[in-house]
Amino acid sequence: MASDSTPVDDLHLPMTPSRVQSATHSPPPLPALPGRDGLADPLRRLRNSQLQGPTGPGSPVPKQPQPHRAPAAPMAKTVPLQPPPPTDGDVPPSSEGGDGYDMDEDRPTFVWGTNISVNDVKVAIVRFLKNFRDESQWNTESEYLTEGKYIEAIKRVIEMEEDSLDVDARNVFDYDSDLYAKMVRYPLEVLAIFDIVLMEMLPVINPLFEKHIQTRIYNLKTSTSMRNLNPSDIERMVSLKGMIIRSSSIIPEIREAIFRCLVCGYYSDPLPVEKGRITEPTICLKEECQARNSLTLVHNRCRFTDKQIVRLQETPDEIPEGGTPHTVSLLMHDKLVDAGKPGDRIEVTGIYRAMTVRVGPTQRTVKSLFKTYIDCLHIKKSDKSRMLAEDQNPVEVDSSVAGHSDEIVFDEKKVEQLKELAKQPDIYDRLTRSLAPNIWELDDVKKGLLCQIFGGNALKLPSGARFRGDINILLVGDPGTSKSQLLQYIHKLAPRGIYTSGRGSSAVGLTAYVAKDPETGETVLESGALVLSDRGICCIDEFDKMSDSARSMLHEVMEQQTVSIAKAGIIASLNARTSVLACANPSGSRYNPRLSVIDNIHLPPTLLSRFDLIYLLLDKADEHTDRRLAKHIVALHFENPETIQQDVLDLATLTAYVGYARKHIHPQLSDEAAEELTRGYVELRRRGNFPGSSKKVITATPRQIESLIRLSEALARIRFSEWVEKHDVVEAFRLLEVAMQQSATDHSTGTIDMDLITTGISASERMRRESLVSAVRNIIMEKLQLGGPSMRLLELLEELKTQSSGNEVHLNDLRTAITTLASEGFVAFVHGDSVKRI
Amino acid sequence: MVGLAYDCLANPLGAVRSTFEKAIASGSDPASFDGRDWGAVDLFRHFLFEDDGANSEFCNYKMGSANTLVRFRGMIQDMLGNEFYVGAYKDGSVWRTNKFTDVPQFPMDTSPDMRLWERHMLYCIPVPGQNSWTESPSEAVMYRSMNSATRQREKRQRLDVEATDNMDCNVSDEGVECSPAKKLKEDGHLQSQESITEGTSSSMIMGPDVNRDSLPCLIKIYDCPESDLKLNEVFEFVGVFTFDPEFKVDKDECDDFTNGFSEDVLVHFPPNKVPRLHCFIHRKLAVHDFLPHSPTVEPKPNLVKEIREALLRHLTAILGNDGVAAHFMLLHLLSTVYSRVETVAVGKLSLNLTCFSKESVPVFGSPLRLAMKNLLPFTQCISLTVDYLNAASLAPRKDYETNRLITGALQLAEGSHLIFDETHLEAGTLNSVGVENARVLKTLMELQKVEYDFKFYKLDMAADVKMLILSEGKSNILPADVVLPFHPASVGSSEVAAEALEAWRWYLATLRSLPHSIEPEMQKVIENDLVAARQEDRKLGTQDFSRLLTMGRLMSMSFGETSLSLEHWQMVKELERLRKERLK
Repeated sequence: MASDSTPVDDLHLPMTPSRVQSATHSPPPLPALPGRDGLADPLRRLRNSQLQGPTGPGSPVPKQPQPHRAPAAPMAKTVPLQPPPPTDGDVPPSSEGGDGYDMDEDRPTFVWGTNISVNDVKVAIVRFLKNFRDESQWNTESEYLTEGKYIEAIKRVIEMEEDSLDVDARNVFDYDSDLYAKMVRYPLEVLAIFDIVLMEMLPVINPLFEKHIQTRIYNLKTSTSMRNLNPSDIERMVSLKGMIIRSSSIIPEIREAIFRCLVCGYYSDPLPVEKGRITEPTICLKEECQARNSLTLVHNRCRFTDKQIVRLQETPDEIPEGGTPHTVSLLMHDKLVDAGKPGDRIEVTGIYRAMTVRVGPTQRTVKSLFKTYIDCLHIKKSDKSRMLAEDQNPVEVDSSVAGHSDEIVFDEKKVEQLKELAKQPDIYDRLTRSLAPNIWELDDVKKGLLCQIFGGNALKLPSGARFRGDINILLVGDPGTSKSQLLQYIHKLAPRGIYTSGRGSSAVGLTAYVAKDPETGETVLESGALVLSDRGICCIDEFDKMSDSARSMLHEVMEQQTVSIAKAGIIASLNARTSVLACANPSGSRYNPRLSVIDNIHLPPTLLSRFDLIYLLLDKADEHTDRRLAKHIVALHFENPETIQQDVLDLATLTAYVGYARKHIHPQLSDEAAEELTRGYVELRRRGNFPGSSKKVITATPRQIESLIRLSEALARIRFSEWVEKHDVVEAFRLLEVAMQQSATDHSTGTIDMDLITTGISASERMRRESLVSAVRNIIMEKLQLGGPSMRLLELLEELKTQSSGNEVHLNDLRTAITTLASEGFVAFVHGDSVKRI
Repeated sequence: MVGLAYDCLANPLGAVRSTFEKAIASGSDPASFDGRDWGAVDLFRHFLFEDDGANSEFCNYKMGSANTLVRFRGMIQDMLGNEFYVGAYKDGSVWRTNKFTDVPQFPMDTSPDMRLWERHMLYCIPVPGQNSWTESPSEAVMYRSMNSATRQREKRQRLDVEATDNMDCNVSDEGVECSPAKKLKEDGHLQSQESITEGTSSSMIMGPDVNRDSLPCLIKIYDCPESDLKLNEVFEFVGVFTFDPEFKVDKDECDDFTNGFSEDVLVHFPPNKVPRLHCFIHRKLAVHDFLPHSPTVEPKPNLVKEIREALLRHLTAILGNDGVAAHFMLLHLLSTVYSRVETVAVGKLSLNLTCFSKESVPVFGSPLRLAMKNLLPFTQCISLTVDYLNAASLAPRKDYETNRLITGALQLAEGSHLIFDETHLEAGTLNSVGVENARVLKTLMELQKVEYDFKFYKLDMAADVKMLILSEGKSNILPADVVLPFHPASVGSSEVAAEALEAWRWYLATLRSLPHSIEPEMQKVIENDLVAARQEDRKLGTQDFSRLLTMGRLMSMSFGETSLSLEHWQMVKELERLRKERLK
């Protein structure tokens, strides 16, 4: 731990006038609190002073004329970030933070400037530690038989030889709200007393335990926003959430120094840091020697502690519109050092402090400015994503350094609210509506996306086989059908959403690449978009414009959910448990109804089959939708945007809903649902096998049944149901069908019947078609023999035209009619353009 | 104490002091002044808006000397959070205040009676692309024919002229007690400052590396919720202008041991480079505040129509007698984002004039650029090349080393106008920066948003920037709302009278903020038209409809009307038809 970078030179610095002054006319400042390692000494002294000193407990504490940390600041040169120097032991801790705000409370029996009476607080703390029991402990009725929560905790600490005790501030509040209030208001004093109490309690429990144990408070009742920190918060305990943006290197901070005489080799006793500096003795302390200026610091026998300064920044969601994020400095000690890395979101509990800024290092004038920082007591890492990305796996708790495990809990009220929501019969529709409410229509697509967000259950068999629970969706469609907007929206909502554009993505950019670290020359693995969106959704725009090599990388990701890398000496397989949401334009940029779906999408079938749902967003001529669109846009331009909003859930609720469902709901197939699945699947298979189908049609594969299971699971999750019911499966089938446009696909030709996409075929149209079908049937009955020679479509068309005069018949109509007949097994296409009766 | 009671102009701090003393004398507890004013701001407000202060030409920021009252207009480029300072303290038995100053004016001992107060810091820069005419009426004339090459030189001249003007005015206003520097001397505390003040202020203006665009200012703002001020908003601040020349000595202050804390923003803004302004009064500025003297005329229909015709003629002339382009240009200039529904920015109308070539850009592009400069307060022109895309930093990004937001070319004030000249863009390879930049441009174009890069996450900032693209074919990097092939008939030039120019500026600044609505009948008509159009041409989509409606709104707005009439709607449809024809 010892390091040569100790500011030895500074130890020789003469006392500047200001320092002398502050030393003389200001009373000793507070015990250094969170320079926690050093606490032992001041505290011991504090205790001693209380027991034996002239200012014993209860006796008036001399009033200190020194309000702020000002005197500490001039010493900043030595150990600039040193928290206020420790007291030199004659006085109990005095609050400086309190004065100026609580002048009236300056009563003799209290620590000056506070409303703290050392004894009372001590008693309260002892009572709390001894008697506090969790609710669960209360319920056991044997409350006096079980030990208090914290007594157990202390014993555990002793057993594990840890050096800190975590105290849940909420427990303190529940037990003794007055103590809680004092603790938050005067944390320095109360924590010091806390530590004293612990020191007194430990020997009772285990006389052999000599380590000093610190109290780490966490989980304050209220969490302050970084933006709202203001002068009145100084010297108070605060709790903040934020993101670490920078951490300094670890700074060794000297705690105790040992000097050696160069003349006689005598080692001095450890000299503690006082007021942020160590005074080098000028005379050798050995009586025989007494050489002057002969002492030198022995680095490797000094005691150092780790210190680190971390910058914490507001998380994006706390930044108000049009603002920039605020930052605050955190001072970390000992175990807290390196507890968080840049990019981590943490919740920190600490004491807000201010120190003066000097005009210059050699000038005594302090500026009127104060620098502020937070002395950390406790940090807790919180989840990174907006939506809880964790699936069914037990939450990987990488919680606080202090080792207490803590799940991200939805508070009960919220859960109740969500459950209430889930009970509503129309929750499925409501959620659908809430998804990208400004995007018009496309309800089925939204339903599919909803399923994707909720996701199915991932399954890992003992044999090692894995079934993904993530649902992949491909949107193919004409330009201007708001595909990209949908993508953007999902990206916003999704856990760890990553948005890339196919045009700008390379294979390595998507998966992972090996890079050489410019400094060390080591090869390092850098994650690409897919790896980064592990347990999230990776949105890929312009999928069709992606290079083939990049696309082929997706094969592995989309089924095996891993990314394998083998290059430059690194062979690795990274998890990429991500759902892929891709969107593409049809080949030829507009959908060509004359071509088959596959030809239109123009992606390799191997890749296509990995998408659970493929949606065709086609632009159809329909006056009704046109009108709605026109209305919508006019409203957008001329009305108050608020009036357009319908009954939708806001984004926050939606996120919470999804987060809760993903975390807590793990539906299983009911027998009924399983039966329905089997039945439906068999039917699906059969449908693909039409006689005479010459083109490749996406037939049902085992992948489809997996998709169906995932979809049904997601649907059950939407309802917060632990069981997949039959109707979930039915809906899953419907979604799949809609998605593949199978209801509208001509299975024989593989083309889409454009008219069929709209479910709203007018009745007259249907009549017309039916009459056409029967007309065609009649002609075929007349002209063709069973098993006889085939007939060309064009001939048939001619025939039809002569028969049904007046009505214009197109080849397309005829083709449709024949297809209908073919599906009845009445005729068959031969060579695509001829018909044969069978 | 200072001899004179106070002089708001030359010794604002004296005024602050005396009001503070007065307030204390009247028995107020200094503790109660936290977060509120004790009369100092009122005094200045009174001075500025009611007394002759409003008329007296008090110092513009650039010429101000230390500790005088100055005015600064600028855009908030970065917000540096808050700062705690000793607001009030006891000097012996007398209460003093540090409000509105960096350096305590009286020795400040560490005494128990110290009040910690809070102030916010904003880093402001002159509005990017601000045109010279916005500054004072006389300059506009001088600037109009000026090209960028001579700009720097002329500016200095102007500054000199103004500086002397300013001096004169000080003298005349205050009689004997004129020079702020003298005053400081009298104060006794800042004796050493005199020479430095002179030196710094002149070097600040004339310094070789300091050009007009980088004359920033650190604004310290008091007693004001930070939410009142937003990034990229343009404000006018009136306050005390301070230097801290002593600071120069302390360059070595940031010793290594302070490590994390040395990121303190102030280290990066040494007061001898970046002056401070302790703000008394701030006011948000809109585009029309930049009109030299805004005629407070109500938009009368006749007047507006006249101006419109004249402006249209002017634009037509500049655009080589291309009437259609001039019409679109007019609508484009009037456009502004007036509402946002989810991600859609409603009201934007970016224009892409195609059929430009490298040869025709100098002929038409330059006059066009100049015209924009003369008409709009904030304009900029970017020549897009592969190299530019690969190198430029368009989106602002946060530098955590210095804890600052590094500005980018796209950090612009509301209502800025950007011309992109794409004719120089040639085939080439974009690197990752280039790809990112292209994406940022596209986002700005489509959503009117700029993604600020905060390294660990990106933050979308809403923007309202009018974008005009000059290109050979339809621009794909910048997909504009309106793509119009440019068909000039002649090379026109247009001499403009100053009055006309002013009228046009007023027209463009005022009309765009008019309220606008649509009658239900008209709504029906539009709906029917849209449906019919879509039946005819399946390619029409949301964006086309949005464009038509925006144009409709702008069209009727250009006539100074507040609701869309059938006539104007027909005009829009006709324009669109003409445009479609050209596209064929």
